[in-house]
Amino acid sequence: MPNFLKTILKFKSKLKSKSKKKIRTPGDKVRRVRELLILLNDNNNVDHGPNWVEEMKELGKYFADIKFTLYGTSEAEPVPEACAQVTQEFFQENTFRLLIICLSKLDLEARKDATQVVANLQRQQVHSRLIACEYLENNIDLIDVLVSGYEDHRLALHYGNMLRECIRHQTIAKYALETHLFKFFDYIQLPDFEISSDAAATFKELLTRHKSTVSEFLSKNYDGFFREFNTKLLQSAVYITKRQAIKLLGDILLDRSNSATMVRYVSSKDNLMILMNLLREPSRPIQLEAFHIFKLCVANKNKPHEITAILIANRSKLLRFFSNFTLDKEDQQFEADKAQVVKEIAELEPKEIR
Amino acid sequence: MGKSGHGKRSYSVNANDYKLLEEIGYGASATVFRAIYVPYNEVVAIKCLDLDRCNSNLDDIRREAQMMSLIDHANVVRAFCSFVVDRNLWVVMPFMAEGSCLHLMQTAYPDGFEEPVICSILKESLKALEYLHQHGHIHRDVKAGNILLDTNGVVKLADFGVSACMFDSGDRQRSRNTFIGTPCWMAPEVMLPEKGYNFKADIWSFGITALELAHGHAPFSKYPYMKVLLMTLQNAPPGLDHDRDKKFSKSFKEMIAMCLVKDPAKRPTAEKLLKHSFFKHAKPPELSVKKLLADLPPLWNRVKTLQLRDDAQLALKLLPSAQQEAISQNEYKRGVSAWNFDIEDLKAQAALEDQD
Repeated sequence: MPNFLKTILKFKSKLKSKSKKKIRTPGDKVRRVRELLILLNDNNNVDHGPNWVEEMKELGKYFADIKFTLYGTSEAEPVPEACAQVTQEFFQENTFRLLIICLSKLDLEARKDATQVVANLQRQQVHSRLIACEYLENNIDLIDVLVSGYEDHRLALHYGNMLRECIRHQTIAKYALETHLFKFFDYIQLPDFEISSDAAATFKELLTRHKSTVSEFLSKNYDGFFREFNTKLLQSAVYITKRQAIKLLGDILLDRSNSATMVRYVSSKDNLMILMNLLREPSRPIQLEAFHIFKLCVANKNKPHEITAILIANRSKLLRFFSNFTLDKEDQQFEADKAQVVKEIAELEPKEIR
Repeated sequence: MGKSGHGKRSYSVNANDYKLLEEIGYGASATVFRAIYVPYNEVVAIKCLDLDRCNSNLDDIRREAQMMSLIDHANVVRAFCSFVVDRNLWVVMPFMAEGSCLHLMQTAYPDGFEEPVICSILKESLKALEYLHQHGHIHRDVKAGNILLDTNGVVKLADFGVSACMFDSGDRQRSRNTFIGTPCWMAPEVMLPEKGYNFKADIWSFGITALELAHGHAPFSKYPYMKVLLMTLQNAPPGLDHDRDKKFSKSFKEMIAMCLVKDPAKRPTAEKLLKHSFFKHAKPPELSVKKLLADLPPLWNRVKTLQLRDDAQLALKLLPSAQQEAISQNEYKRGVSAWNFDIEDLKAQAALEDQD
C-alpha cells in the first residue's frame, strides 16, 4: 500500500475514535459492553453491520480489561474502588442478563473472560452488600438459564462455572436445589467428561455447601432423592458414576447437620444391600468409600432386625472379607474402624432377630 | 462461533470410534497412545488415565480436562474431547508426531541443540506461557519433556497434569503453596511452601529449560533429588558459563540470567520476556526445528528404544541417580503434591546458610 494511503487511513481511524465517547473508567467500559451486547442481542440475521468484526473485537477487549480490573494482573493488585464501580454498573440495567443471554454469540476467549468476570462479581461487596445476590434474587429465572446450559455443549462449561459461583449465595442455592436438583441425576451421566464432571461438581456443591438448606431439603425429599440416588447413581453400571456418588454419599451422611437423614439411611435394609455390593467392587476407592457408610449401618445401636439378619447371614463371608481388606498405606483410623466393625459383626446374637 | 471450531463438535465421545495403536508415552497412572479416529481416518493422541489410581479427589482431573478443552492457542496442546471408558479417562488430543524435545535430545542430540533451534523452540513455548498466564494458569511443569514437536516443526506446550489456576473459583488466590513440579526445574520459592508462588515460577522453569536445551540435560540433573533441592535453594542460580559455553550468544546468556533470578518479583513476565532481544530474530520453527527431524525413525520406535534403554540401565544401575529417581518418581507423577519430605530441615539449613 502506498504511504500516503496509509496516512489517510490512519487519519480516518483517528477521526473515528475521536467521534466516539471517551472510554476511560472501568464504569465506562461496562457501559460500553452493555451497548455492544444490546447490538449483539438485536442482531439475529446473518448480515451483521459493517462494523461487526470490529465491535466484536472491542467487546472481547473490554471483557479482558474488566477481568484484569477485578482480578488484578501478575504485576498489579486489584483496586477496590474500580471493582465496586464495575460491580455496580454491571447489575444496573440488566447488563448481567444480557451477558448471559448473549454468551453463545461471543467467541471463545470472550466467553472465558466473561465467565471469570461473572464468577468474581458474586463476591464483590459494595457498601458491605452483596449486590449480585440481591440481583439474582430478583432475577431468579437466570438460574434456570444457567442450569439448562448443561444441555448445550457450547455453553455447558461456562454456564456451569457461573452457576457454581451463584449458588454460593444461600437463597440462590435453595432455589436451585428445590427447582433443579433432580435434573442433575441425568447431567452427571452425560458422556462428555468435562461436562458430566462439571455437573457432578455443581451437584456436590448444592448438596454440601449450605448445611441448613441441605438438611431441610433432604428431610423433606428423602424418599424421592434417595430413590434416584440409589438406582441411578450407586447402582449404575458406570464406574465413574458409582465412584463419585459413593464419595458424595459419605460427605452428605457424615456431616453432622444431616444426622437425622443419616440414621434413616443406615437403617434401611435396601441401602445396606447396595453398600455391601459396593464393598465387592473391584475398585479400591469405591470399596473404601462404601466401607465408611457400611460401618455406620453396623455401628447403629438400634439396628432394625432385618439388618441384623443380613449381617448374621453373611457373617463368615464378611469376616473373611475384612481380614483381606487392607490399605496400601498404613492408616490407624481405618484399622481401628475395621476392628470395631469386625467385633460388632462377630458378636451379633441371632436372638436379636425376632 | 470460534475460529478454531470450538462451537461445533467434531470428535465423538464413543470409544468404538477410536483405534488405539502404539504407546507413545508412559507414566504411572497414564499412558499416551497413538490412535486413529476412525470416522475421519485421522491420527490423534489419546491419554488414558487410570482413575482408580488417582486417589480420592477427581476435582483436579476435572479441572485439567476442562482447561484443556477450553484452550485456543497455536502453541498449547488442547483436548478435542474426553470421556470415561471403564476405569480410564480418555483425553483425545492432537498427535504431535515427533514427540517431546527431551525424547529428541535423548535420541539424536545428547549434548543439546544449536542456538537458532533453541531460540525458535523457546519463543514458541514462551508464547504458550504468555497465553496461559493471561488466562490465570500456572503451568508448573515447564521442561523439555513437556515441549512437543510436530513433523512440520510446530511447537506446543503440553501436560497440564499439575497446572494450577490462579483465578480458580472467582477469587484471585494470592499465590499457590502446593509443592509440585519436577525438582530440577523447580523455582526456589516453590520449594519453600510457606512463601507461596505465582506465574513467575514458570519463568524460572523456563530458564532451566533453556539450559536443558543448550546442554542436553537440566543443570543439576546428575545429582540426587534432595541434593537438587538444596543446591537450588543455596547455590547461586545456574546459567551459561562464560568460557565453557562460548558458542552461545551474549543475548541468550542474558535472557537465561533474567529468568533465573531467585527473587520471583525480579523475574520478567512472559509478555516482557518475549520482547527480549534474544527472541527478536527467532526463525520460524517450520524452518529451524524441521531440520532436526530429518532421518529419524518414527516416534513410536524411538519411544520403544528409549524405554528399553531405560529399563536396561535401571537394571544395571548405571543411570545417574537423578535420572533413576526420575524414572521411579514417574510412579508418583500424579501424586507429587503428597511428597512428604522434611521441609523443616531444608529450611533450617537454608537459614543457617543465610547467617554465614
